[in-house]
Amino acid sequence: MSRSSTDAGSGTESDQELPLGTTPQFARMHRLLRIAITVCLFGLVIEGAFTVPALAIWYGYPTLSLTEICDEFMKVRWNDETATCEYPYPIGGPPYGGKGEGTERTTASTTWGVQPKSNLPRIGFRELVRNRERRAGR
Amino acid sequence: MTSHAASGLTRDQHEETSKAAQRLADRWLVAGTALMGTLVFGLIGLPMFLRGLWLQRGAEQEGLSVRPAIVTLIGYLVILDAFINSIGWALDLLANHSLLNRVFFTAWGNYADNGYFWQYNELMVGGTAAPGEKAWEVTCIFVVFPMRIAAAIAFLQMKRWGHQWLVVTCWFGVVIWVGYVANMTMYADIRFAGTLLPVFGWWLFDVFYITPFLAIPYLHTVNREIFAD
Repeated sequence: MSRSSTDAGSGTESDQELPLGTTPQFARMHRLLRIAITVCLFGLVIEGAFTVPALAIWYGYPTLSLTEICDEFMKVRWNDETATCEYPYPIGGPPYGGKGEGTERTTASTTWGVQPKSNLPRIGFRELVRNRERRAGR
Repeated sequence: MTSHAASGLTRDQHEETSKAAQRLADRWLVAGTALMGTLVFGLIGLPMFLRGLWLQRGAEQEGLSVRPAIVTLIGYLVILDAFINSIGWALDLLANHSLLNRVFFTAWGNYADNGYFWQYNELMVGGTAAPGEKAWEVTCIFVVFPMRIAAAIAFLQMKRWGHQWLVVTCWFGVVIWVGYVANMTMYADIRFAGTLLPVFGWWLFDVFYITPFLAIPYLHTVNREIFAD
């Protein structure tokens, strides 16, 4: 493991207070890096913890179940009101074999070319819930 | 003169006590990192991780020979970065027809990067259909991240090869970021059109994954003698 600071540093009195391996000329930079890394740590954890529930709420949970959200995504993605989310998907599906849920679908609004354009609409806050209610109303 | 002499311990006792203190701190740090690596249990993992840091700091103040705090932070955060990235990409690569993936990964895609929503699961291997994206997944999951985790573990053990390989994989991080962002920008009509927060949303989410970049200046300026052969 590590050695004590007097073994590895330059050994002068001025760097006695510095962390092991940090020389006086880089002490400030190392301190700033430590702060930036700590900010990243908190950032990763906070965004990690809140992204999943925030996305679920935006796209309609708990009014819509996960399968229903998956279903609504299919309808938007393939621009096709008859597209459904097959669940559970056969275990032999991609990447282990078989056809993917999107294979051979031709209804998406993509403009094809060397630089394809998706033409996907932006999905607003709980818009999938309204889409489903509108469809049920018809 | 040395700290173990000051605390009245023999050199062997000092080494033993230091090792035990480091091991105790590492238990908390490893458990915290494992939970944070799952993404969703991060708020449970963070206090455990902070406790590990606090125990290590206490040992340092007692004059024990433990790792410098910045080495601990860099080592564990590099592992965390690799784990979180691997989870998402491994799901897209190997479990792209699972319900959780089809809901949450494509929802994330629709929020920040429509490469994970557009024509999803149309490709022969399923998952993202964005041009070039699968290649980055394979490169990172099978080469960069395992290499990085191995290097970070050795770095935490204060081994010379851990330091050297962390330099290699952190520079590899620059390559994958520049390549990835350039590829994504080439196909911006697919990836950002129709997302909730185009471009800005992606950076807002991904900017916290820059730890391997922050490690580079440290790795090049630290006194390498502290890493044992």
